[in-house]
Amino acid sequence: MSKFTKEMVNDLANKLLIGLTEEENKMVLDEFEEIDKQIAKINSIPNIKDVVPMTHCLDDFKSELREDIATESIKIQDALRNSGATEAREIVVPKVVN
Amino acid sequence: MNEKTKYKAVIGLEMHCELKSNSKVFSSARNSFNEIPNDNIMPLDMGFPGTLPVTNKKCVSDAIKMALVLNCQIPKYMTFDRKNYYYPDLPKGYQITQFYNPVGTNGHITIEVNKEKKDVLIHDIHLEEDAASLDHYDDISCIDYNRCGVPLLELVTEPCLSTAEEAVAFLEHMRNTYRYCDVSEADSKKGQIRCDVNISIMDYDSQELGTKVEIKNVNSFGAVYDVINYEINRQSTLKDLGRYNEVEQETRRWDEETKSTIRMRSKADAIDYKYFPEPNIPPYEITSAWINEIKSSIPILPLERKNIYMTKYNLNDYDASIIIKNKAISDYYEECLKLNINPKIAANWVITQIIGSLNELDININDFYLTPNLLKQITDAIEKNIISSKQAKEIYQKSIDEQKEPKNFISIENSQITDETALQKIITNILNNNQTQIEQYKNGKTNLFDYFVGQVMKETRGKANPTLTKEILQKELNK
Amino acid sequence: MNYLNKSITELHNLLINKEVTSEELIKEALTKSHEVNAKYNAFVTILDNAKPTEITDDLLSGIPFGIKDNYSTKDILSTGSSNTLNNYVPFFDATAVANLKKHNAVPVNKTAMDEFGLGGTGTTAHTGIIKNPWDPTRMCAGSSAGSACAVASGVYPYALGSDTGDSIRKPAAYCGIVGYKPTYGMISRYGLFPFASSLDHCGVLTRNVTDAAIVVDEMKSKDDKDMTSWDSSNINLYKNLTKDIKNKKVCYIKEICDINNYPNANQELKKHLDNFYQTLEKLKEIGVEVKEESVDKTLLNALASVYVVISCAEATSNLSNLTGIVFGPRKDSTNIFETMKKHRTEGFSPLIKRRFIIGSYVLQSENQERYFRNAQRVRRLLVDEWLKLFTKYDAIILPVSTGPAKKLDQNETIKNEENTILEEHLQIGNFGGFPSITIPNGFINNLPVGINITGNRYNDQTVLNIAYALEQQMNYQNQIAREINN
Repeated sequence: MSKFTKEMVNDLANKLLIGLTEEENKMVLDEFEEIDKQIAKINSIPNIKDVVPMTHCLDDFKSELREDIATESIKIQDALRNSGATEAREIVVPKVVN
Repeated sequence: MNEKTKYKAVIGLEMHCELKSNSKVFSSARNSFNEIPNDNIMPLDMGFPGTLPVTNKKCVSDAIKMALVLNCQIPKYMTFDRKNYYYPDLPKGYQITQFYNPVGTNGHITIEVNKEKKDVLIHDIHLEEDAASLDHYDDISCIDYNRCGVPLLELVTEPCLSTAEEAVAFLEHMRNTYRYCDVSEADSKKGQIRCDVNISIMDYDSQELGTKVEIKNVNSFGAVYDVINYEINRQSTLKDLGRYNEVEQETRRWDEETKSTIRMRSKADAIDYKYFPEPNIPPYEITSAWINEIKSSIPILPLERKNIYMTKYNLNDYDASIIIKNKAISDYYEECLKLNINPKIAANWVITQIIGSLNELDININDFYLTPNLLKQITDAIEKNIISSKQAKEIYQKSIDEQKEPKNFISIENSQITDETALQKIITNILNNNQTQIEQYKNGKTNLFDYFVGQVMKETRGKANPTLTKEILQKELNK
Repeated sequence: MNYLNKSITELHNLLINKEVTSEELIKEALTKSHEVNAKYNAFVTILDNAKPTEITDDLLSGIPFGIKDNYSTKDILSTGSSNTLNNYVPFFDATAVANLKKHNAVPVNKTAMDEFGLGGTGTTAHTGIIKNPWDPTRMCAGSSAGSACAVASGVYPYALGSDTGDSIRKPAAYCGIVGYKPTYGMISRYGLFPFASSLDHCGVLTRNVTDAAIVVDEMKSKDDKDMTSWDSSNINLYKNLTKDIKNKKVCYIKEICDINNYPNANQELKKHLDNFYQTLEKLKEIGVEVKEESVDKTLLNALASVYVVISCAEATSNLSNLTGIVFGPRKDSTNIFETMKKHRTEGFSPLIKRRFIIGSYVLQSENQERYFRNAQRVRRLLVDEWLKLFTKYDAIILPVSTGPAKKLDQNETIKNEENTILEEHLQIGNFGGFPSITIPNGFINNLPVGINITGNRYNDQTVLNIAYALEQQMNYQNQIAREINN
């Protein structure tokens, strides 16, 4: 019995605000099986727990922080021009209820 | 209000406070209140594809500063994480925050509750970004991204508070501390402070913690007070009724209209935020040199100042408390002391006159005309008996009204008449013109003494030195 | 007229000597763009009103080029080849694009790609399948499929690409051209639509190594809008390009290159590996020391899943901004969350949805340690292996893929597991941010194949010099795709 179920996949998808067809759901399930096999390969590496996870590409990198200087706001026309629904200076969405 | 409750409450707080800065925490858009919607924005603040966060150095520095104030452990590197969830006020689909490695952990701070000291344990303090604001109308909501990306410091206490008074005292203490450190205006009316409250109840003799309920987005200290008492009451009532199992581990919100908490979601519906390190922000080393530099910028904090005022300058608790309430006022007071104004006299001026004037003028003490240097002109004149305290108050007011230095009003002409010969002459004159009253006085109407004093003051337009006047009058009338 | 099969320096000289004008080059590029699009479906947008620029000392001035559609381009449709952005017209340029424009380079089209770069076939663009110009029944590989196709077809001398796993370097091999991604952060990612931020690199596809050096010199800059970018102003790739690589040391890896790893190898694979060893001989002829090295096979076996886990996890977060609220087609609903969900459900291709779900699963708090963090740990182990090799060698040289471009009708999900490492090893270049270049090194059945050279971080010059010297030893530079009749 697989630990991956159709319901679980749908739940994951829902939380990502994505709807899946039956077919897509099936594909994900197949892929999960495959990935779990692959993960076994990762977890078979000895002493893996002692390794520090690599979270950044150049992890020896010395970065700089930005000085606290403000710049002019972008133009309102630019900000809104790609939105499908705007009113005056704002983006409009269906009413958000808590 | 303070009667012992039937159960012990266990309270933890999360306090979000907007930081003061020129620009936002990860974008260079302005961080300032702006009534014009979408007028403080850069592409990142609306989540445009390809935009990247760039961390504001001042915000990191201020976060470290507060972590130091809270006696926290500071990590070697400043790192950020993503908190992933979908909401229309979150354009990137994630909030950049610090989850795995907050800027401060395991801290503590001493506060005062009803003159008693209490140590509050700090779980962590971390830097993150605010979300956009939504304006709700009948069928639609409008999104204003001005607030999106505004720096927030989130402070999380351990569940170590047990009453609403303690909680509010802590919040007030922290608000004052933020202001002292000049990292935030900390104005809850402007929405700069928002709180979440965790609360559970348990029997006093029990070791077993009760069920924790979280109340989100409590936006004033008054509401925090109400929320805590409401929840203690709600949970206690259920426990009394043997229905404690109805207290669920859940998230509730405070409804200001009904003055009650309303269920939002249970623990089972809790969102998995899938936190992971933000790959676009490399770890930034927090060097000990930088920590020291930040440390040196932390001012002496209110409770310490209060202690100094009481022990070194002999102020009473009440006066000291008033002065430390506002850092600028406290700084003003300390400036007066540096100028060698007597501590008690300076305190008196600040408390009885200056704070009133500030309220009247509706200004900050930094914009107050009468600087400590100018105040000293007045206190010196009193000390040298050049003016009376009554005159001093008049001069104080005149100086503020006309924005002219007090010394302009402390002229020789205006000064007290302390010359005995001169005063003797004036008094002799007055007595000569009031023979009838002298008779009456001598016949036992002794309250006429004040009448003679009044006549002298009238003649000298209040400038006669009162003590000397009384001395001479006594002498003359008893002749 | 047929200028655009020439190299950048040749074109520049023609322009300087007024033997051709920028206007003529643009006209030719646009004509070819339409031809190539009709045949291979390489573009999302062709900029028919592209304007000539002033010819200056800048080598790129007046010369047309292509931009992968996941670069933000001001006032030009930028879709990332996704229906979720099929109407998105940015108001700002990606830094790399802005840098090129500063040098008077002339964009003439936006190239199609696998949707947001999440794919290696060039088959998931919202505008349809991108075909290989050597054989339209084959794929270009991806995700920079349109860019590779266009450069190979002689539309212009170069096109921008992006590379998260091998998205520049594999299509380059399949299309018989050069694909170069420099060290992570040398080119700013600002304005590049993200796939997996810790793996994403900007880069370029060209027909020779010199052109790659010229273009990257002009794309790169430390950018105050990208915290991961760094100052490379002391690096002048083109100026310091040299064939003299005597005494350089390179290695190849036994577990990847030895035919004995592939008991079921087909003819193509055998020829490909033979050809690889022949190329190594050419390096030796010019004084390069070439050695075989061995790397722990268990680590190599894990590399593909490390990539899947990390890239999917970052992608699911990175693409959470696609909800159709601020940009992208708005879907109607009375419920805000339905609005967002419709946008995502209708906008994303099935492949992307699957990747998101995988990414979300491995990030869930109860799975994160076992999947995501362990993948990040193995990422470090693999990078450390490469770093160890770079203490002894100037570069690692390896064959790209298992042979020439694959047939489009070949079912992608049926993968030959024993070939996985050979197919996916270029991802290590992304794990460590290493400079990495693919150049063509021959033909199998009249279809081009490629070889890859990867060096240590910040050591782009050495990588390019080795590639440049090797290129001179072979005869595949500046080749234009000739459709074969298989």
